[in-house]
Amino acid sequence: MSGKGGVGKSTVTACLADGLARLGARTGVLDADLNGPCMARMMGVKDHKPSPQNGAMIAARNAYGVPVMSMDMFLPEDETPLVWEASSQQGAYTWRSMVEMSALRELLSDTDWGDLDVLLIDLPPGAERLQNLADLLPDLTGAIVVSTASQTAMTVVSRSILMALNVADVRITGVVENMSTMICSECGCTEKMFIGAETVEELAERHGVPYLGAIPFNITLADFLETGRSYIEEHAVHPAAHAILDVAKRVHFWLNNQSK
Amino acid sequence: MALKSTHGPFDGSMSIIYECPTCTMQTAMLTNRAETQMVRSLGVRIGGRTTPEEPMETLRSNLSSGGKESKGQPPSSSGKCPFTGMVNDAIGAAEPEPKKPVWTAGALARIEAIPPYIQPMVKQNVESFAREQGCSEIDEDVMDAVRGTLGM
Repeated sequence: MSGKGGVGKSTVTACLADGLARLGARTGVLDADLNGPCMARMMGVKDHKPSPQNGAMIAARNAYGVPVMSMDMFLPEDETPLVWEASSQQGAYTWRSMVEMSALRELLSDTDWGDLDVLLIDLPPGAERLQNLADLLPDLTGAIVVSTASQTAMTVVSRSILMALNVADVRITGVVENMSTMICSECGCTEKMFIGAETVEELAERHGVPYLGAIPFNITLADFLETGRSYIEEHAVHPAAHAILDVAKRVHFWLNNQSK
Repeated sequence: MALKSTHGPFDGSMSIIYECPTCTMQTAMLTNRAETQMVRSLGVRIGGRTTPEEPMETLRSNLSSGGKESKGQPPSSSGKCPFTGMVNDAIGAAEPEPKKPVWTAGALARIEAIPPYIQPMVKQNVESFAREQGCSEIDEDVMDAVRGTLGM
């Protein structure tokens, strides 16, 4: 979660799925962004159409075996907007969030995930989204916060951290800094993407939550993720792959240290 | 009580009138579009379930593009209650698109004279007024009537 749109929550989710799977954790990915779903595409399973089997919907498995469930698998075309059946779309504000909560509950509970150690849930932007999820999953293990070093994003992310800790009562696994630097594809030099008064690491420290590491911006990463193959395996020498694996290790460590 | 008559669905809402065969006292039941939709959004089957639950039934049956072929679609009528059967039928019933009134050049010119940012809202209000009054055309007389009624 982040509270802010455009910080790369979905990219980080896909990267973490790759990293955690590399570390041997049986990992699944649920796309909780019903209106802007992209995880099926980002995990390389966009053409999968779920079908019921033995009373459950079978999750799609990507090239390295991670099960994925996302709303975009139910929409007929890539660009089809999510429209709920109703006698009229006028006044949809009165019922839309309710049908979306029902749909999210079903995506979670009616999916055959197989045996999992970790289920990563990619939330849409909005500070209240974690609270809604916590209502559905009271035993939620933790929330991974994604932020860029943009001061605007950090203000919103800060608000979401406070919301998670004080209102939703959800533990924070830590903060991932996304798009921390840009690596030049020609000479390999790195440049900061954002410069501001406070760093993401300082933000994490201010809230007393772990800083999980920084993932550099990589122009080919998103395209590669769509293949559904492991970036960490196939770009093992790239600094971004190292960064992703480091973040995944810290998440894995944190998860292993949670009381059962 | 015996079923006397039904009205609608109009604008997603319908009413059913029951009458006592002995004293002729009448009772009406009125559905509210938003409330019916809210109940449906929770996955509640009005009139009760008659078929086993399917995985992701609410999601699939509520998707406007996927509802028709969904196996989880409830039967159009269920149970013994005529009210629930009608409500379920009404939910799936396509309502005709209300016909838009035609604007005359004079009425349009008056709309164009007001600040552009409020034109869409005023047009919508005038069209809604015209429909309520049964006017198929919006001319300057309708505009005057709107002005008098809505204070615009």
